[in-house]
Amino acid sequence: MTLILGIETSCDETGVAVVENGTRLLSNVVASQVVLHAQYGGVFPEVASRAHVEAIVPVTQQAMDVAQVTLDDIDAIAVTRGPGLAGSLLVGVNFAKGLALGHGLPLVGVNHLEGHVYSLWLAETDTALQFPAVCLIVSGGHSEIVLIREHGDYTVVGSTIDDAAGEAFDKVARLLNLSYPGGPAIQHAADEGDPTTYAFPRALRGHGYNFSFSGLKTAVMRAVQPPHQGRRAPKSEGMTPEQLRPDVNVADVAASFQVAVVDVLVEKTIQAAATHNAAEIWMAGGVSANLLLREQMQEHSPLPVRYPPLALCVDNGAMIAAAGFFRYQQGYRDDLALDVRPMWPLVSIRDHMTKG
Amino acid sequence: MPSPERATLDFTTNSVTHTERLGTFLGQSLTGGEVVCLSGDLGAGKTALTRGIAAGWGALEAVTSPTFTVVHEHRRTQDSFVLYHVDCYRLSGPADAWGVGLDDMLYNDGVVVIEWPENVSAVLPADRLWIAFFLLDENRRQLTMSASGNRSQTLLETLRGNWME
Repeated sequence: MTLILGIETSCDETGVAVVENGTRLLSNVVASQVVLHAQYGGVFPEVASRAHVEAIVPVTQQAMDVAQVTLDDIDAIAVTRGPGLAGSLLVGVNFAKGLALGHGLPLVGVNHLEGHVYSLWLAETDTALQFPAVCLIVSGGHSEIVLIREHGDYTVVGSTIDDAAGEAFDKVARLLNLSYPGGPAIQHAADEGDPTTYAFPRALRGHGYNFSFSGLKTAVMRAVQPPHQGRRAPKSEGMTPEQLRPDVNVADVAASFQVAVVDVLVEKTIQAAATHNAAEIWMAGGVSANLLLREQMQEHSPLPVRYPPLALCVDNGAMIAAAGFFRYQQGYRDDLALDVRPMWPLVSIRDHMTKG
Repeated sequence: MPSPERATLDFTTNSVTHTERLGTFLGQSLTGGEVVCLSGDLGAGKTALTRGIAAGWGALEAVTSPTFTVVHEHRRTQDSFVLYHVDCYRLSGPADAWGVGLDDMLYNDGVVVIEWPENVSAVLPADRLWIAFFLLDENRRQLTMSASGNRSQTLLETLRGNWME
């Protein structure tokens, strides 16, 4: 039995988890900003390494308490090296190094995107996951189609050339005066809407596996904001509620937008899977929680479709522990010189590491 | 010597590609330490201009939107300088700016390109090139560049003297 402590601090969430053999969740604690607001009774900067600094020790302690283990039971520490916000990543990496040094534990650096992929291994399943797989990783910061031939063997076959899918959800939610995060808010609003009301663009359709969501966001803005005369001035300081045209039905816009995003995600993923002779289609990341995306992918895919449980779609330490387990098992180790990689692309492990 | 009354310059671009080209020229003109603020609505062309700036500067990675992680750090082969592409869309004031380490980026030799600078106006240095984007129609944009210090004025003069449509 191998126990991995996984630490994730690449962005807004401080996540720590204990995972057994890369597949069994013993604990998974995530401190989101919502919890921090309640706990500290003040408004926290939305993205701040300080929030991680304050959360990391209690979150780690709680993860060990829930799992009923101590550091003596842990076999290795896995931590997110990147991609992400440098200051936030540093908190997790330095904390992990301290634990590794203090307790003589092996240290394994993990790519955040790889972590999302390994959230699939934490799902309850009747059948074993099959390689090669094509995985759609979609979140607030990422939109990639990745061919995975084997554990740790990644080829990014497509990615966004501008905005991430989740970012498009967030920005359109803001345009429609819906809440943050935009994914659940749009999905909820779209329930009552007619997805055929607006023919929003499906960019780069039929042109390879890259995505572009910037034009879609602009098209939604044009559809909902009052027409302007002459040149439009930039916004003044601060965020003000968006002005909507009086005839705009928010539910129809949300539904039409959502289906435009889902259409391209589904089409391109299925095409990529066919081209690369994948055995399965996987989805991971925050946007993979979207119900329309799940439903459409399953409806159109000739291959089995897998996605993580809802709780593991968002950033968390468990997925980092799961990914770290497979690196650890294959003999990959990092030393205490481990640095953060804010812009780290997803590359195969053998291309950037030698076995320790 | 640049004179104060010539501290503003207007450009009109006809397409996304045209905006990128202007950005590339701007990127080639950067010498280090400049702060470039991009102010305009969603879809105004801020990311397109940044794509050009990064290409002209020599960035190794493709530019994508940094909204989610707030900052993308770009590097190039010829030296160890950094181009910070910062998106303050999700920030709302000096505390947030401090939280993401914006002050560290603003006061070193790197280049800082900031989208949604209005959200952190209190922490921005006095010397900066401010580029306001105006939507003229679906494709055309007016970019009004204003310099407010020696370094940004030098940059503006380089653009004024050398930009060919």
